Amino acid sequence: MLTITNSSKDPFYNLALEEYIFNNYTEDDIFFMWQDEPSVIVGSYQNILREVSVLDLEKQHIPILRRMTGGGTVYHDNGNINYTYITTQAGMIDYADCVKPVIDGLNALGIPAHQNRTCDIAINGEKISGSAQRMVRKRLLHHGTLLFSSDLDRLFTITMKDKNDNIQSKGTLSAICPVTNIIEYLPKPLSIEDFQENLQNQILGTGATEITLNENDQAEIRKLRDKYMSWEWIWQKTPPFTYQKSGTFCNAPIAVRYSAKKGILYDVEIHSQHINFQQAADLFEQSKLDLSLLREKCHLLTSKNGDELLTFFT
Amino acid sequence: MQKKLTMPKLRPEMEKGVLCAWLKEEGEKVEAGEPVFEVETDKVVQQIEASESGILSKQLAEEGDEISVFDSVGIIDT
Repeated sequence: MLTITNSSKDPFYNLALEEYIFNNYTEDDIFFMWQDEPSVIVGSYQNILREVSVLDLEKQHIPILRRMTGGGTVYHDNGNINYTYITTQAGMIDYADCVKPVIDGLNALGIPAHQNRTCDIAINGEKISGSAQRMVRKRLLHHGTLLFSSDLDRLFTITMKDKNDNIQSKGTLSAICPVTNIIEYLPKPLSIEDFQENLQNQILGTGATEITLNENDQAEIRKLRDKYMSWEWIWQKTPPFTYQKSGTFCNAPIAVRYSAKKGILYDVEIHSQHINFQQAADLFEQSKLDLSLLREKCHLLTSKNGDELLTFFT
Repeated sequence: MQKKLTMPKLRPEMEKGVLCAWLKEEGEKVEAGEPVFEVETDKVVQQIEASESGILSKQLAEEGDEISVFDSVGIIDT
């Protein structure tokens, strides 16, 4: 078994590091744990606009990232610990095999965790861990969250409350289910750092080898980090969708419609007595699905009420 | 010869999968063992490799389509 100590809390770096390890260490089983600063991570083929409020997250300075595994949207904060388990699997994927080491580790620490649904871990039926996978050739990357002392109200507000129903789209939807924190079930009080160390020791046992990265490795990881920061990775992978939202804009009815494919808008219609229909259609046609760009264009159309107009696009 | 690319069964419970991305364009050369498309089902994204070399002559499914297990998604001319 290999492991790596990663003290970075930069979510972009952490996804890049994980991908680098997955791509370059292709023989041994690997297990490691890590934490992110507050961030939202969507599944490989999810529609960000459907899953979260991009305007609310922008206000809270919470970045949105896209990972390379399947599944739904998660919220990471300083009360959450992530784990990554990379292994070789011949034949069909067995999720029980993936979550078993973590469940066994939690049980050994006196926490009554059990497998729930396909690949969740729960205590008394309330979820403490969700996970997702990527399989390339015979190598499987399985990673998951562990809610230790996360802000569950915030998690609920960000990832579960008010899904955006203005979107018609294919793509992966997130599951909505009751959650709890591990800290409620500790036999004796532990800091999150001690909990992480104890659990990792349980899972790794003795004799795990530490991966060391040289300057070359770090340079490659920085390149991958740039990918995870890029518009192309975050927005272009959005499945094709159509969007429609109506309401009141400057005391008059408004309806906004558009379609997007590979993150590019087309057939944009703004029906409002305050907006010139053709000017708007021309301005937004072939525009990137990018919050600052859309904001800029909304302000071009209506300098006073650009921010209000933008809410009809998201 | 024409070989069909099909939606694989990745898990015992799997009945359908989403073809979430084509990694090769129509008309592009494909080597045996090279990934051709990505499938998502039940939280896993898996790259599917070609079993034989040839030209990807036809994509029968679009990105985002949900396809039943073993149904055709594309054709490789070997």
